[in-house]
Amino acid sequence: MVSISNPYKPNIAALRKITTENNANDIKTFEVVFEDPDLAGSFRYTPGQFGMISYFGAGECPIGIASSPTDEGFLEFTIKKVGTVTTALHNCSEGDRIGIRGPYGNGWPIEAMEGRNVVLVGGGFAFTTLRSLAKYILHDDNRGRFGDLTVIYGARNPGELIYKYDLEDWEKRDDINLIVTVDKGDSGWTGKEGYVPTILKEAAPSSKDAIAAICGPPIMIRFSIPVMTELGFSPSDILLSLEMRMKCGIGKCGRCNVGSKFVCLDGPVFTHEELQGLPKEY
Amino acid sequence: MEGLGNSIKEAAERLLNEGDVDLVIGYERGTTPLRSTPCFIRDSGDVDRLIWDPTCDANLAKYLIGQDAKIGVFVKGCDARSAVVCIAEGQIDRDKVVLIGLPCSGVVDRKKIDSVLDGREILDATVDEEKITVRGEDFEEELPTKNFLCDSCLSCRHRTPTVYDIMIGDTPTEEPDTDEYAEVDELESMTAEERWAHFVEELSSCIRCYSCRNVCPMCYCKECFVDETMPAWFGKTNDLSDTMIYHIVRSLHLAGRCVDCGACSRSCPMGIDLRTLLKKGEKIVKERFSFEAGMDVEEKPVMSVFKQEDSEEFVI
Amino acid sequence: MKIKIVDKKEVPALIDRLIERYRVFAPVDAGKYARLMEVASGSEACLELQNPKLSSKEILFPQTEIILRIKKGEEGLETEEPSENDKDWVLFGVHPCDAKGLVLTDKFFASGDYKDKPYMDKRGKTSIVGLACNHPRATCFCASVGGSPFGKEGIDILLVDLGEEYLIEILTERGERMIEGVHGLRDASDDDMARAEKMSEEAEKALQTDLPIEGLSERLEGMFEDPLWDKVHLKCVGCGVCSYLCPTCWCFDIIDEETSTGVERIRLWDTCQFTQFTLQGSGFNPRPSGKERMRQRIMHKFCYFPKEYGVLACTGCGRCVRECPVNQDIRETIKEIMSV
Repeated sequence: MVSISNPYKPNIAALRKITTENNANDIKTFEVVFEDPDLAGSFRYTPGQFGMISYFGAGECPIGIASSPTDEGFLEFTIKKVGTVTTALHNCSEGDRIGIRGPYGNGWPIEAMEGRNVVLVGGGFAFTTLRSLAKYILHDDNRGRFGDLTVIYGARNPGELIYKYDLEDWEKRDDINLIVTVDKGDSGWTGKEGYVPTILKEAAPSSKDAIAAICGPPIMIRFSIPVMTELGFSPSDILLSLEMRMKCGIGKCGRCNVGSKFVCLDGPVFTHEELQGLPKEY
Repeated sequence: MEGLGNSIKEAAERLLNEGDVDLVIGYERGTTPLRSTPCFIRDSGDVDRLIWDPTCDANLAKYLIGQDAKIGVFVKGCDARSAVVCIAEGQIDRDKVVLIGLPCSGVVDRKKIDSVLDGREILDATVDEEKITVRGEDFEEELPTKNFLCDSCLSCRHRTPTVYDIMIGDTPTEEPDTDEYAEVDELESMTAEERWAHFVEELSSCIRCYSCRNVCPMCYCKECFVDETMPAWFGKTNDLSDTMIYHIVRSLHLAGRCVDCGACSRSCPMGIDLRTLLKKGEKIVKERFSFEAGMDVEEKPVMSVFKQEDSEEFVI
Repeated sequence: MKIKIVDKKEVPALIDRLIERYRVFAPVDAGKYARLMEVASGSEACLELQNPKLSSKEILFPQTEIILRIKKGEEGLETEEPSENDKDWVLFGVHPCDAKGLVLTDKFFASGDYKDKPYMDKRGKTSIVGLACNHPRATCFCASVGGSPFGKEGIDILLVDLGEEYLIEILTERGERMIEGVHGLRDASDDDMARAEKMSEEAEKALQTDLPIEGLSERLEGMFEDPLWDKVHLKCVGCGVCSYLCPTCWCFDIIDEETSTGVERIRLWDTCQFTQFTLQGSGFNPRPSGKERMRQRIMHKFCYFPKEYGVLACTGCGRCVRECPVNQDIRETIKEIMSV
């Protein structure tokens, strides 16, 4: 037998807390704790990485880690109910057990962001790893290493906004410029109304000494990139997190292969410049 | 057959030049002996590529599904019936297709030829309606074409396309001299155990490549039942149980729709006999509902309509 | 490097000796074709047949493989890795194109931070007895893609068919261990070796396909948007025949299946040619039609993989050419690319 560890073997974790995030009831945040206490204490990751989450019997799927590495002893995954595995997870109760493999992927490049102003642009449910990054930056241990933090986040309607509890906290802070928008408000909504790219253009964050991360549905990204470019952000200073169908998460099953890269290994975070060098397949 | 070569090219050229079609789909010489391959022509200058001989086995009706353009397609009797089924099911627009009928007396079964050559490789071959000449490193043999036709051709009752816009050459004579359900009857006469053993043996080499499904014009579902996950009806591994469910359910989905063109059996890399199970479905539909697939574009698909006189002995 | 000779009629006994110490997989006459299967006795092996229908990959990277078992016990969930504590394996009679396929598979599954343990466990205990190809088929093109009918890559012992005997070239330590204690072998004479050398030359000459691949990868790098892709895929029906039979295609799917005691996590063959290979949960598919999927296959084999690993992901075995239901011919595609 070759003495290498089996990368397909998941670690067992228990669901400690389940929070419903949206009115449509199809996005939930799962707070999970590894059963192995050593692992629970030693698991390290960077914002932007993902885990392969198993519901045993249904299968596995890739989910971005929503908690910040500064959260100790637990992980959070925000999961939308879309298919077999996510439906099975949504039917879980607190105390149920799942499998986690990871952390996989390259994560947001923290070092490249240190000492600079950070602009995070998120849309809909894809906001999850940007939330991880924002929490990380805002933590007392880290805040001093980064410049201004601007977060622009939008959802289709107020009911679809996730992490409302975090958004409330951040609104009160003066070390983050938070702009929340919805495509369409409702009778109770007093905030901004407009698509994320439009609100982004309005906010016009400065590109001086700045680096931006955009995460959202393809159409939002398509319209946000030109706005950032016009604001003076160079392609190497615009970061994107790609979505591709994944099964192994470790660059072996071939599914997420784009050009000579695997999104699960070399990504999911790529700069706009790197993507321009890859085949246009996403 | 030589004269027909020119008719084929002439027909294609005329259709393209007069703008009746944007694309002609036919056959051209393949890259290995005894093979033809589908050919897609948009420029009338390319019509010289077109051929017609007993190696022209692909069911070209497959390529009509999901197309917007006006297409001229060469069809044998069976291919034409497939097109008719797909037209009747609303998958092909009759007005956008020019069916060019081919006078087919059968296509060759390369697996049958290989089995008499005992592993010797064919390096070169010629074939016409009378004989197949195969040449290898140190052999040359002449084989009578009619002994090496596909089984589906041997039981073919509709050599003449049931629907066509242009007919190349003369419509072929129908030669119903074989019992089209001979293989089905043989299986029916077995005991249940024998029949089970037969299917276990046939299907245990299936590698779930789905070439049988993908070459079939009638398998046009955007999401095949194999790929459904909520719920997943059965597994995708080569577990024999799951494999047998795949083939059984596919044959049920094709009952009353399959025209026995033989493309599935020909495409199978493992040489599995897929036709006989499908032929049984065809026989049941013919006996119970007096229906044959692909005869009339107006006739509604048999399994989606109910007639007062339908036999009901299976309804308790 | 030791070179021996064995009479053909002694080979079944030789295989029997191997079966005492190894699980042996050899080409077997499966009726309509040869297939690599486990043999219980040397007499089952048939080396006179053409290359098995499926490549050696079906033994080391099976179509269906349980990679994990999860038991739902009272204390919770337990994961268990299936392990076969059986004898070491021998793949007997592997053609050089298939052996090279294993070399490429090894490269890929062992690369990076995450090694594919299920494959590597099997590969680690497998020795390869290769069989040189005296009569390449008209569809073979191993030499065009960097291989050879008498190629030694990935092979521990190479057999050369000299007519009444096999020349046995012991190439590696593994090969030496295999041959330990096997009787009935004599040292090869200079004449034997000369005969084998001549056969090698003749086999190379006999290859009928000579593809122009100089600069193929570089050319493809600039061809992602080339109009050639609109035409290449037209007749392809998108089945899995080419990928499943290919020695260097290894894309897979992972599914869970429930059993009475828990769950089996299974990996099975998949292919970039299937419609839903890259279909995302949102419904978006970056490769929505045959055009993108065919382009991916060709680019991966002849551009992306060589860029990363320095070798084409194709060994010229010709299976895709022979078995494609519509005669899609990868050799023609390469020629078209080189003539653009």
